Amino acid sequence: MGTPCHFALFDLQPDFRLDLDQLASRYRELARAVHPDRFADASEREQRLALERSAGLNEAYQTLKSAPRRARYLLAIGGHEVPQEVTVHDPEFLFQQMQWREELEDLQDSADLDGVAAFKRRLKVAQDALNEEFAACWNDAAQREQAERLMRRMQFLDKLAYEVRQLEERLDD
Amino acid sequence: MALLQIAEPGQSPQPHQRRLAVGIDLGTTNSLVAALRSGLSAPLPDAEGRVILPSAVRYHADRIDVGHGAREAASADPLNTILSVKRLMGRGLADVKQLGEQLPYRFVGGESHMPFIDTVQGPKSPVEVSADILKVLRQRAEATLGGELVGAVITVPAYFDDAQRQATKDAARLAGLNVLRLLNEPTAAAVAYGLDQNAEGVVAIYDLGGGTFDISILRLTGGVFEVLATGGDTALGGDDFDYAIASWIIESAGLSSDLDPSAQRRLLETACAAKEALTDAEVVSVSYDGWQAELTRAAFDALIEPMIARSLKACRRAVRDSGVELEEVSAVVMVGGSTRVPRVRSAVGELFGRQPLTDIDPDQVVAIGAAIQADTLAGNQREGGELLLLDVIPLSLGLETMGGLMEKVIPRNTTIPVARAQEFTTYKDGQSAMMIHVLQGERELISDCRSLARFELRGIPAMVAGAAKIRVTFQVDADGLLSVSARELGSGVESSIQVKPSYGLTDGEIARMLKDSFEHAGNDKVARQLREHQVDAERLLEAVQGALDADGERLLDAEERLAIEQQMQDLRDLMNGTDGAAIEQQTKRLSQVTDAFAARRLDSTVKAALAGRNLNEIEDN
Repeated sequence: MGTPCHFALFDLQPDFRLDLDQLASRYRELARAVHPDRFADASEREQRLALERSAGLNEAYQTLKSAPRRARYLLAIGGHEVPQEVTVHDPEFLFQQMQWREELEDLQDSADLDGVAAFKRRLKVAQDALNEEFAACWNDAAQREQAERLMRRMQFLDKLAYEVRQLEERLDD
Repeated sequence: MALLQIAEPGQSPQPHQRRLAVGIDLGTTNSLVAALRSGLSAPLPDAEGRVILPSAVRYHADRIDVGHGAREAASADPLNTILSVKRLMGRGLADVKQLGEQLPYRFVGGESHMPFIDTVQGPKSPVEVSADILKVLRQRAEATLGGELVGAVITVPAYFDDAQRQATKDAARLAGLNVLRLLNEPTAAAVAYGLDQNAEGVVAIYDLGGGTFDISILRLTGGVFEVLATGGDTALGGDDFDYAIASWIIESAGLSSDLDPSAQRRLLETACAAKEALTDAEVVSVSYDGWQAELTRAAFDALIEPMIARSLKACRRAVRDSGVELEEVSAVVMVGGSTRVPRVRSAVGELFGRQPLTDIDPDQVVAIGAAIQADTLAGNQREGGELLLLDVIPLSLGLETMGGLMEKVIPRNTTIPVARAQEFTTYKDGQSAMMIHVLQGERELISDCRSLARFELRGIPAMVAGAAKIRVTFQVDADGLLSVSARELGSGVESSIQVKPSYGLTDGEIARMLKDSFEHAGNDKVARQLREHQVDAERLLEAVQGALDADGERLLDAEERLAIEQQMQDLRDLMNGTDGAAIEQQTKRLSQVTDAFAARRLDSTVKAALAGRNLNEIEDN
């Protein structure tokens, strides 16, 4: 496509394990270089270029910062674009998915704030576990299918985390 | 008015000459203009030594009063004295009707849905009224600093949507100001506070002004101000405290709530005075039209409790959105005159578990921060390293889809600039146009979100239904303003886009206002346009010369450099003439010729940043 790989932009090797502090630090340095504010007194074209570069940088940073998005991106640049909408054949996880969802609905009905906090903690533990599993297998061609499965599970939990935040907001009324 | 100095061809202006730029806080109740002088950022005073300019505009038949005089006359001339015009910026007639009982003005519709206020000088849009305030500030700045301004940073509430921001930019344009940047008020305050305290870590800015409320959570790291999340309410402020007291007076005194405009004004002034007195006193005596009673601080606190609660809810949401824990917030800064209310301070202190900071005058801190950024953006060197402000979009941006639903394209609190693309296709054979309705908000139904604009895409190549792949790119710039572009992927054809803003001024209205303002000022339009072209040309020449001096040898070969210098000379030759159109054309040509050079410079800076080296180091090699 012509655009540099997100990792290359930050001068990093493509890998799932990432030092987030280092990533943030490099992001700030790069942002300094391309932010439109640096070009406030430059020509209109330079300003537009800076705007495009900045937007691209921000996109790359957001992708690498988030574990599920990073995972998806790694699989994609490995030459295996993972289609977004596809029926998931993950019966093992399907059951867990249903349990998570039911619990969330119960929490909503009971308006139990302590329960929500506990739910969040367990969710985080589950996400950390998935991250570890993914880190161990993503680079192994033989475990391609497993890696994709794990990535989808990560996406599900990520979406769930977002829904918990929305629940917290509703309960804040 | 000071003349712009245009350098002799071949010479560039004195390198040590600072480029004059200011920060402007265009507030609901009060406005200020500040500038950086001798390393210190401070608001500029008027002839009487006052730094605050009340955001009050009074229209007489033959002249305009702006400021203290206008505000004092408000109850005497309520229909022609416009206060709190900021609450009307980027709003439609329907929104205004909601505020209607609190505003005594006569509203009339314009070409767009923007409400115009009928005055003795004819209908005035909120944009024009704001422009009249900005003009005064501009004149004050130019007189004090002794020269023409290169530009201004104008602050807006972080929670302002696209329409409100665009209206602010339009007002600046009418006032003859070059907007270097629209800056979010809490971010401006963070800059002033952060630099003053050399602060690092996570900071919350609680900004309660006359008419708007913002809460921003920022992370400060060595000169980088990164907004993590922002929230607020553009219809919540000190004015609402006044209305609460006014309602209490009406109830307690058994008055009819159907007051004439002059009485309404007097009532609000009485309420405002009571509110301010209660900052230091535990109880205050309130009198209105022969009626009198005591208002205790406790009673006042009870009246404003629901409003404070609303603000705290927005704070909790912003903290959630930011991804940090409440405990990680190491400081809370109070901004805006309304944060002087004791109950506000104690409530915020309770939420964040720490004493809020009020070191810098809450009325001035925003303008001070804006002036610091203005100075940098104008191209002046800053001691102590460069500032970087990374802000976010405050409200989700999305599209109307089937069934009146809003589909989010860019979620709130995404760092800007940002660009997202969405693909569409045609549903009829040969369809050549498409309409996209863009909205801002968090709700699912479009009726619960704010309509921004309708974008009409034209020029789609004729194809079978469903065959066209139109990629629409939504781009939000550093000012928080949206622009849309579209391209048919198969053919590569770019669609032309016509924007119909929902609450903005149409191009026709702006053109008319600009024309009116020229005529009113007695300026010859042609002469002014010529000067504008000359100024643009001068700016570009300076920029290109600077670029050549810095990187010309390193990044250009002899032929390329010659081509650029030739275009520069052609421009200089034209500049001292009187053909504005020719100057404009040559400016464009020079800009095109330096395009590739600009891209190379950007790449080079990026590489240098990655290598962790300072630009200066590279030049020494």
